[in-house]
Amino acid sequence: MLPLRDVQAEFRRALLAEDETALAVLVDGGAARIEVHRNNLFASLGEVLRDSFPSVCRLVDERFFAYAAHEFIRRHPPTRAVLAEYGGGFADFLADFPPCRHLAYLADVARLEWLMCVAATAADAMPLGGAALAGVAAEATPLLRLRLHPALGLLASPFPVDRIWRANRRDAPLDEAPIELAAGGVRLEVHRAGTEVVMRALDAPSFAFRQTLRQEGTLEAAATAALAHDPAFDLAGALGALFRDGAVIGVSTASESCEATS
Amino acid sequence: MVATETVTREIAGAIGVGLRAPHLAAFIADRPAIGWLEVHAENYMGGGAAPAQLDKVRRDYPLSLHGVGLSLGSAEGLDEAHLQRLKSLVERYAPCRVSEHLSWSMAGGTYLNDLLPLPYTEESLAIVARHVAQVQDVLGRKLLVENPSSYLRFRHSTIAEPDFLAELVRRTGCGLLCDVNNIYVSAANLGFDAARYLDALPAMAVGEIHLAGHAAVRRAGAALLIDDHGSAVPPPVWALYGSALRRFGAVATLVEWDKNLPALPVLLGEARKAERAALATLGDHAAAS
Repeated sequence: MLPLRDVQAEFRRALLAEDETALAVLVDGGAARIEVHRNNLFASLGEVLRDSFPSVCRLVDERFFAYAAHEFIRRHPPTRAVLAEYGGGFADFLADFPPCRHLAYLADVARLEWLMCVAATAADAMPLGGAALAGVAAEATPLLRLRLHPALGLLASPFPVDRIWRANRRDAPLDEAPIELAAGGVRLEVHRAGTEVVMRALDAPSFAFRQTLRQEGTLEAAATAALAHDPAFDLAGALGALFRDGAVIGVSTASESCEATS
Repeated sequence: MVATETVTREIAGAIGVGLRAPHLAAFIADRPAIGWLEVHAENYMGGGAAPAQLDKVRRDYPLSLHGVGLSLGSAEGLDEAHLQRLKSLVERYAPCRVSEHLSWSMAGGTYLNDLLPLPYTEESLAIVARHVAQVQDVLGRKLLVENPSSYLRFRHSTIAEPDFLAELVRRTGCGLLCDVNNIYVSAANLGFDAARYLDALPAMAVGEIHLAGHAAVRRAGAALLIDDHGSAVPPPVWALYGSALRRFGAVATLVEWDKNLPALPVLLGEARKAERAALATLGDHAAAS
């Protein structure tokens, strides 16, 4: 008799690799019965992806989306049971998926929609006020690292993905002006205000500043990145805005850290 | 007469419906009369709008947390991080009941998003019992375990499903969630007698009943019923519900509807039907006793 662990490995192979030779021997009813579970798996996860990436779905049409989603699920199935957290790799998958390589902007639209999913459902966290920096000694300030809110995401794209996304929302009007891909790129920030997801464009220095902090760079590194775009960048103003936006949930120096408690 | 009024009130309070996202706003704004609401735990494990809205709902209704992701039957063990997230929800919402499924979804670190069937063997029983005990330990409360809808049977199963559940109850002290639609679907797909299945369950352990619709399909020439929660409760499931009530008494009952979700009044209409069915069965009992 097969140990349960092996039965479950065979079941997994039957559903994902579509190789059910070993499982079919173990069950009454055979392939048609196994098919029910494979349908449940792919249909439910396909729906999760369609709900998370509605504009991508509109850009490529339902049938192609279903095909791409099926391939993604087969190659990158979920590893956790919370399905709102499934789909983070879909944009990278689309970028490398040969059938849609001609849609250069598609992966970035998917990245934007993923940031919106993250902004909608990321863990709640209590933002810090600017007073969190009050006790920091002047010489320690350049080495500070700020922990940004998990709902906050940043995306730089060589395409006007915000306009592409807006024009392909489910409820988008059909008579919008055509979008020129050559119109240029955009730097976007997606965040949660209260319980609403909000998106806005940032200028190059502000984007570089926040992006460096998001990647756990020091305040000094973030300032350097911003100043490279604009030597007159207002560092104090940018730091104050970050706190006002509710974007900071933790401050740490090399030796100690301070986090909001809720 | 007083006894009948009490029974009527008890039964109305015992009927609940599944709370799905499109109906959230209506429950918050209009507070329609219903005994309790059920949510899928995994839909509220993040932050943002959903858990905040559920806080509001919880002020007006008792809440039952129904998990779909614990994978009680996985040989590789429970995902402890997931169990901790469930514990946080239990602490936040103080649910009237917490339930999960006799099934598995995790294998080799992959979450196969379906309630997959177990071979009913001594090995499986030991694994599920260990996991149910672990969950009850961490949550500090009783778990109800739901009978699955089945499409296939493992040839090396040695224990009948209701006996497996009865032994699980005996070993862990867990309760049971009796899904009569699942019994009906499984009985049709695997060819067993639904009434005898009901009789084999330990009646005292049943803490909740589920009702739902299913779909009839053909797969590779085989006629199958699929538990899709996509339509009204059909007549044979209502009939089986009557049998369940006669055996288990006035147990909390949920109407589930997930696919093709109807307008809220239609769903609440199904709940009223459950109430009338329970009154017809149990009201007579009360009047007779």
